[in-house]
Amino acid sequence: MSVFDIITHQLVNGLVLGSFYALVALGYTMIFGVIKLLNFAHGDLYMVGGFIGFLALSAISSVVGGDWPGVFVAMFLSMIAVGFLGVVIERVAYHPMLAAPRLSILITALAVSLVLQNTVLGLTGGQYQPFRSDLGFGGINLGSLFIQYNQMVLVGTAAILMIALELFVTRTQYGRAMRAVSIDKDMCQLMGINVPSVIAVTFFIGSALAAAAGTMAGAYYGSIWYFMGFLIGLKAFTAAVIGGIGSIPGAMLGGLILGLLEAFGTQIPGIGSEWKDVFSFAVLILVLVFKPTGLLGQSEQERM
Amino acid sequence: MRILSKAAAAGAIFALAFGSAALAQDTISIGVQVPTTGSEATYGQDMANAVAIAQDEINKAGGVLGKQLSMVIGDSACDPQQSVNAASKLVSQGVVGVVGGYCSGATLPTLKIYGDANVPFVITASNSTKLIPANPGNAFMINSTGDEQATKAVDFLSGKGVKTLAIVNEGDAYSQDLANLARDGWTKAGNTVSAFETVNKGEQDYSAIVTAIKAANPDAVFWTAYYADGGLLIRQLRQAGYQGIIAVGDGSNSAKLFDIAGKAAEGVFAFSNPTAEFLPAAKSFIETYKAKFNADPGPYAPLTYDGMQLLAWAINKAGSTDAAAVIAALKSADNQEWLAGPISFTDKNTLARSNFIVLEGKGGAWTRAAE
Repeated sequence: MSVFDIITHQLVNGLVLGSFYALVALGYTMIFGVIKLLNFAHGDLYMVGGFIGFLALSAISSVVGGDWPGVFVAMFLSMIAVGFLGVVIERVAYHPMLAAPRLSILITALAVSLVLQNTVLGLTGGQYQPFRSDLGFGGINLGSLFIQYNQMVLVGTAAILMIALELFVTRTQYGRAMRAVSIDKDMCQLMGINVPSVIAVTFFIGSALAAAAGTMAGAYYGSIWYFMGFLIGLKAFTAAVIGGIGSIPGAMLGGLILGLLEAFGTQIPGIGSEWKDVFSFAVLILVLVFKPTGLLGQSEQERM
Repeated sequence: MRILSKAAAAGAIFALAFGSAALAQDTISIGVQVPTTGSEATYGQDMANAVAIAQDEINKAGGVLGKQLSMVIGDSACDPQQSVNAASKLVSQGVVGVVGGYCSGATLPTLKIYGDANVPFVITASNSTKLIPANPGNAFMINSTGDEQATKAVDFLSGKGVKTLAIVNEGDAYSQDLANLARDGWTKAGNTVSAFETVNKGEQDYSAIVTAIKAANPDAVFWTAYYADGGLLIRQLRQAGYQGIIAVGDGSNSAKLFDIAGKAAEGVFAFSNPTAEFLPAAKSFIETYKAKFNADPGPYAPLTYDGMQLLAWAINKAGSTDAAAVIAALKSADNQEWLAGPISFTDKNTLARSNFIVLEGKGGAWTRAAE
């Protein structure tokens, strides 16, 4: 492999990884936008999404097959189910806490995370579950660069979901309400906006995006387990902060940047791959030193 | 009515108190430290099953020193913090010896606890060399240590004509230890290590490492950590078109590797401690295990069975449950034949011989490879 080949390969790897980070980061950032909560249970919704997607695919694969069409149907079902789960979590755990001090609701989020993790641990016995799908290993060769069809579908799907979200937020009434709530909740209430329902929609969309990522990750990598949401939750949170927490384009940008940093961090000559996290998190620190609000973040937001 | 139920309750409490006192007199309790939850729960449950079989057989044959053996499970969860809790709990419950130990990283901090409490500990799976200097003298390792696995790996891969090798570990005590030993052994044999990589446990995407490995283009890749992430790495290596030999350490020697890696696991070599299906002496053990648990014994079942039998033998030989006497008896083990072969110990309480074999993935299962 020439240096050019390595760079293009790592670019593809970084894009795939970054798409997952971006999808999960979007949920973090949207929820932070409307209720200023760092929803630490978000990575676990990704995990639950993977499991529900797996159950859905097992149930429907005899009808639609286990290839991408089947995975998409499973992903859609999982997005709906986890979206409602997100709304229920908000109603039960976060809604009563909205007036409480910030720290209380943060601890509630940690508790929700542990509840979700341990529920799945209990149900699965902590076992790795092979995620059986029939995704092929095919791809196209562009010169010496080999791109799997799966990678193209993954990045394409993530892009479509993100474009749809962007259109929703900027072009619809609900999107406008969501942006308004993120600026001033109390004022929105006075202006007749149904704030609780806007918050519910935000949780639905954020959780559904995490479920989409979880199902695709399960199908693409081939196994799921109860702890799979932890690391990606942490990384996606990082991505949201790099991009500027509260900013939707920021989360997309942050996800892609973190994915690319990790891919190229593996390849730095002279030091091994065990330093790749040092590299990407050092960049995080630098970003925060020079731009504390993140790349696309706004400065007036209150922070934890 | 009320008086009656009070009397009944008092009777029940009395019976309970009396019963447990009687229990304490009649049984010798042995601690079993294994991960029964978490990522390595498969192995842990398997080891606990093996101990249960040994316990049954010993008890049926009259027990130890005329008393029945009972087992108490401490869940180490393959996690240093959890295992410390589990070990302290076992000690406080008054076990006279402990069998088990899986995940060297989780076993390491428990050595001091058993050492301080002076409880004999037969380690049946953990085999990191880091355990050796940390052993206060009461622990005995009946699985060959990591350095002997590394020697086996170097010999075997050299024999396959491999010149350049990529080594990948997961950053924990066990896999890093094996990776370092393999690297040292490989360079000492005059070959080249063309990539030495570390991945994060539980990180599903290994594509960046795969590209780095493909760029280094080694004849073989040696994965030194566990099956869950190993399965993903193997799958991603083959998906990306890597053609060379792939070998894995004994932590990946599980049937589950085939579930996760699928077809990509065909032709993968695994270095393994002696598993039941490849041991001539283990035929009846396999049958008992299958009848009792409706599953095949896993990779550490024979060694863990041996661990329990060895401990029972040592208590019998010592003639008491006194820790010093049991430890002295364990030290005196003199190559008697057990299920997985003869056991005797070096002066560092490690197994005095290498017990590794080589397996190959064929048709979705492990078979013994030609060496």
